[in-house]
Amino acid sequence: MSASDLAVAATGLHKHFGRTTALAGLDLQVEKGIVAGFLGPNGSGKSTTIRILLGLLTSDGGTARLLGGDPWRDAVELHRRIAYVPGEVSLWPNLTGGQAIGILSRLRGGVDTAKRDSLLERFKLDPTKKARSYSKGNRQKVALVAGLASNAELLILDEPTSGLDPLMEQVFTECIREVKDEGRSVLLSSHIFAEVEKLCDTITIIREGRTVEAGRLDALRHLHRTTVSIVLDREASVLATVPGINDLAVDGPKATFTVGEAELGGVLAVLSSYAPHTLVSSPPSLEDLFLRHYGGPAAGSAPSDAPAEGKHRAGTRSTPPCPVPASLPVTCQFRAP
Amino acid sequence: MTGLSICVRFLLRRNWVRLLLWAAVLAVMIPVVYNSQQQIFPTQADRDAYAQVANNPAVAAMTGLPYAAGSLGGILVIKIWMTLAVALGFASIFLVTRNGRADEEEGRTELLRSSALGRHAYSVANYAVAGALSVVTGLLISLLCLEVDLPAAGSWAMGASIAGTGLAFVAVGALCGQLSSTSRGANSLGVVVLAVFYFIRAGADLQANGTEASPLSWFSPIGWAQTMRPFGQDTWWPLAPLVLLALVGCAVALRIETHRDLGMGLLPERRGPATATAFLVQPVGLVLRLQRGSLVGWLAGAAVVGLFFGGVGQAMSDAIDPSNPYAKAFVGDSATVLQGVMGLLVLFNGLLAGAFAVQCLAGARAEEASGRLESQLSGALSRSRWLFAQMLVAAAGSAAMLLLGGWLMGASSQGAATGGELAAASLAYWPAVLLMLGVLLFLHGFLPRLSVSLSWAVYGISVLVAMFGSLFSLSEAAIKATPFGAVPRMPVADFALMPLVVLLLIAVVLAALGVWRFRTRDIVTE
Repeated sequence: MSASDLAVAATGLHKHFGRTTALAGLDLQVEKGIVAGFLGPNGSGKSTTIRILLGLLTSDGGTARLLGGDPWRDAVELHRRIAYVPGEVSLWPNLTGGQAIGILSRLRGGVDTAKRDSLLERFKLDPTKKARSYSKGNRQKVALVAGLASNAELLILDEPTSGLDPLMEQVFTECIREVKDEGRSVLLSSHIFAEVEKLCDTITIIREGRTVEAGRLDALRHLHRTTVSIVLDREASVLATVPGINDLAVDGPKATFTVGEAELGGVLAVLSSYAPHTLVSSPPSLEDLFLRHYGGPAAGSAPSDAPAEGKHRAGTRSTPPCPVPASLPVTCQFRAP
Repeated sequence: MTGLSICVRFLLRRNWVRLLLWAAVLAVMIPVVYNSQQQIFPTQADRDAYAQVANNPAVAAMTGLPYAAGSLGGILVIKIWMTLAVALGFASIFLVTRNGRADEEEGRTELLRSSALGRHAYSVANYAVAGALSVVTGLLISLLCLEVDLPAAGSWAMGASIAGTGLAFVAVGALCGQLSSTSRGANSLGVVVLAVFYFIRAGADLQANGTEASPLSWFSPIGWAQTMRPFGQDTWWPLAPLVLLALVGCAVALRIETHRDLGMGLLPERRGPATATAFLVQPVGLVLRLQRGSLVGWLAGAAVVGLFFGGVGQAMSDAIDPSNPYAKAFVGDSATVLQGVMGLLVLFNGLLAGAFAVQCLAGARAEEASGRLESQLSGALSRSRWLFAQMLVAAAGSAAMLLLGGWLMGASSQGAATGGELAAASLAYWPAVLLMLGVLLFLHGFLPRLSVSLSWAVYGISVLVAMFGSLFSLSEAAIKATPFGAVPRMPVADFALMPLVVLLLIAVVLAALGVWRFRTRDIVTE
């Protein structure tokens, strides 16, 4: 793939804030015309990366290209072609939401009023209220409407749905799909797995300022194990000796285990001889991938090459803890490294 | 009231540096000013001569009626009482807002209230801590008066009258914090109330019969405190209405707090336009809109001050006998006393414009700290263009203040000076104001987090030296080496180009360095 096919190309980014290391060799690529997920726990460097891409921070090392330009030097020109939605939206308290949308849109080269009005309608946002009376979710909507109303080639969204209720998240999902259908690119930083799985073509998972996993979501899934739940006609402990079966948990005739892609055929052949009553197989979820890197149930420890400082701060703004709505079938347990 | 003591300790922990600084800086003025006045008026004959000229409209309007100008205690009151009382009033308003409305606006109060805390515990603790600052400052002032061997009765009345003023403005701050829903609004309202009370008593003192203020004085708590007359009659009963005002005011504030929703003020929130105008989406338009209230307020302030001081200048024109040497000591080295007073009033106008400029440009840092700058810069807006808009409003706004205040001062002085003369004399302070902006821009580039507080410190020291340099026995050369001291004090002094060019050069260099650094540094949010 040539460099001109990339909306975002960052290699080996480094950034220090005083003695803390925010980025330690981060790589991030976003092809044009796709939705790219950007995952990592709080403080792993997502916002810092985005701020470097926006030319708000200088990088201490590595290279970053945005739509083929230099994000620091060509900031103003590049910004005509992008739209940014921050995760924590701060508005002018004594201006209305509608005025804020106007100011932010104008800075991106003008307002598409029809589009803006339709977005206001879809997000159910009252633009005549002063920003100080908005809830967090409503402030988020202001930034989303301003960003989505533009015809930017690239949308950079930093945890854009924090504070939105599930209905509004649905609206957001539809909007991003429309953006994608128009052939535009999106960089979506998030820690809501369901959202990323629904929307993203590729994902990049980072940890402590470096990339630990990157690629197309379906390709990544192949690298990992399928989870199988099964009920046999006999005591399931017979499975213990079958090659290829891992993480086996047995409860009478019931069993749950994981199996790698290469061993799946052999394992199924063995299983059929035990006359299973039911068999449910689920592909590895993004959450599994994520937890594997962050010390979930599967892997307990941090990669040995992780920097020793421990917890970092991304930028200087603190991100809210885990904004996962209770209605989503997602757990969120980041263990402090 | 559950948790009151925890709240008090928390507030002390959070504000102790601020409290200590206010109390120490105000109290230490007593020995410093006392010593300088002792040097200027070493003998009783000197003081008697001063007493003959002390009772003039300028002194009456600015610092109150000189009822005991023949004694060192009385001179101390003339020189510093009003400054201390007004400063403590400001301190009370700002403290109450900082720990009251500002916390509520940021949502910290919500967090505290959700715990096992009585509904009013935090507010009561806030009023109590602010009140304690007044009491402690008053006590320190009294003790330092005793320390320099001033009469005991007068020393205690001095501290009590100043503390009483501070207490009254705790109540003003408490009420403003309930009426307005923003900390900025609460502070502005408080400052306006203080200014109104100041001008009411100034009017009363101007209409005095001898050294008896007109009854108008009873409409201002500052007037009540003045009636205590330390080192004069040492009257104690006016302290009662001051303390009563403090208690009733705070009680009413608590009552309002019970009946309103958290985060809301009594003044209702209005709806606004659904779209931005073509003007608002321009960088300069946005700054003008954000600073609109403050700009209007400061211009109105400059107009009121100009009109008022113009009237004072006119009243001065036949009140002072220029042959008396002590008239000279008061208004500086002047050929005609009247022009000296005018020079002082113009300086005051220049200082006001400087305060506006610093406050206005400090808005730039607020935009950056809040993260709103990031949203703007992620659009097609360059850093220098954004900063230029901020600078332009601060610089042009302060020039407008100088011209307006100066012109009105001259026009209302009825012949003491013309509007054009004093407008020009005021505009001579523009380079000094621009230097303040240069300092702020420089700090904004290199030390963004500290830039606003350090700039206010630089401004505060410049004001102290320009206004009170001679009271602190500073040499003429030292005063002329500070921004506002360097400006030729027209109309009494002749126009000189050099100091203004030097001020302007320093301002430009500082600003250029600051802008260069801002263009190359990280954006720092809080």
